[in-house]
Amino acid sequence: MFAIFMIAFTIGVFVLMSRLYARLYNPLFVPVLTSTIIIASTLVIFQIPYESYMTGGKWIDSFLGPAVVALAYPMYRQRKEITKYMLPIMMGVLSGLFTALTTGFWFAKLVGVDRTFILTMVPKSLTTPVAIPVSAEIGGIPSMAIVFTMVAGFTGIVAGPLFLRLIGIKGALGMGMALGSASHALGTSKAFEYGQEPASMSSVAMSLSAVFGSVIGPLFVWLFHI
Amino acid sequence: MKIIKTIIQIAVLYGIYFLGESIQSLLQIPIPGSIIGLLLLFTALAFHIVPVEWIEDGARLILTYLPLFFIPATVGVINYPDFLSWTGLLLVIIVIISTLATMAAAGWVSQFFQLRQSRKEAK
Repeated sequence: MFAIFMIAFTIGVFVLMSRLYARLYNPLFVPVLTSTIIIASTLVIFQIPYESYMTGGKWIDSFLGPAVVALAYPMYRQRKEITKYMLPIMMGVLSGLFTALTTGFWFAKLVGVDRTFILTMVPKSLTTPVAIPVSAEIGGIPSMAIVFTMVAGFTGIVAGPLFLRLIGIKGALGMGMALGSASHALGTSKAFEYGQEPASMSSVAMSLSAVFGSVIGPLFVWLFHI
Repeated sequence: MKIIKTIIQIAVLYGIYFLGESIQSLLQIPIPGSIIGLLLLFTALAFHIVPVEWIEDGARLILTYLPLFFIPATVGVINYPDFLSWTGLLLVIIVIISTLATMAAAGWVSQFFQLRQSRKEAK
């Protein structure tokens, strides 16, 4: 009964927040962020443990896997563009991955945070199911990696549109590459607002980053003796 | 009839997802099953092993609600109240800056090579 109530509550909040977003169209009110804040606050206020929430939440969560698989469909629709721009795509993904790995590490080193935290931060640009095992492998804290991955995702969603405009990235390819490389699947969900082409490019960037990142991430840590 | 067709198509996507998960646990690689499934389906569609009509309606429907499916996972943040500390805040700021830098690098570099390619084609 409680599980069904939690499912209904999650969907209800999401539907309401989607309507609010459609009216305001302010990036701070993107439904996934506002819904998370409302649901998380409700759980904290009523002292409902996350595990109890997940008795219902897991049913919604179980759609995430097949939904990521479904991203193959917009990618297939854009397959000609993807083959045509293979070089820009590869270059974009690799520079994104390199920047994600090095900047997090540099800044953390600069302010002098603990080595374990630095290692936890390394895989943040990768999608959560990649970030967890990679952070574990290199000696970070997997549960904390989830939070960093989420912050990276929400940064892309909230700040992405304005930031990309400011730095002069206008095309579908550049936008998709930026959102998918930096903000994984959450960024890809945002890219859908701009159409099929940026969404496909974002899916490509996310997938390639996940594949390359799972190999390059641990290699990077080993090479730089972090 | 369309509803039944769409439900079957979503079941097909589930099937491919589980196939990806099985491959992942079999090979013991850190690439998630969903990403393996995505790459498998894309390859199968591109080589016409799976006709696009088999998954089209299901994929469209499930992708419409993509942001909803993230929420149970993101709500999990309540398990980490440690982030409401100075170190936590500092780390979050670093992640934000690094994410913006990543967007700039990936966006600029891909755009640069795209423009170069278009110029070559124009000649």
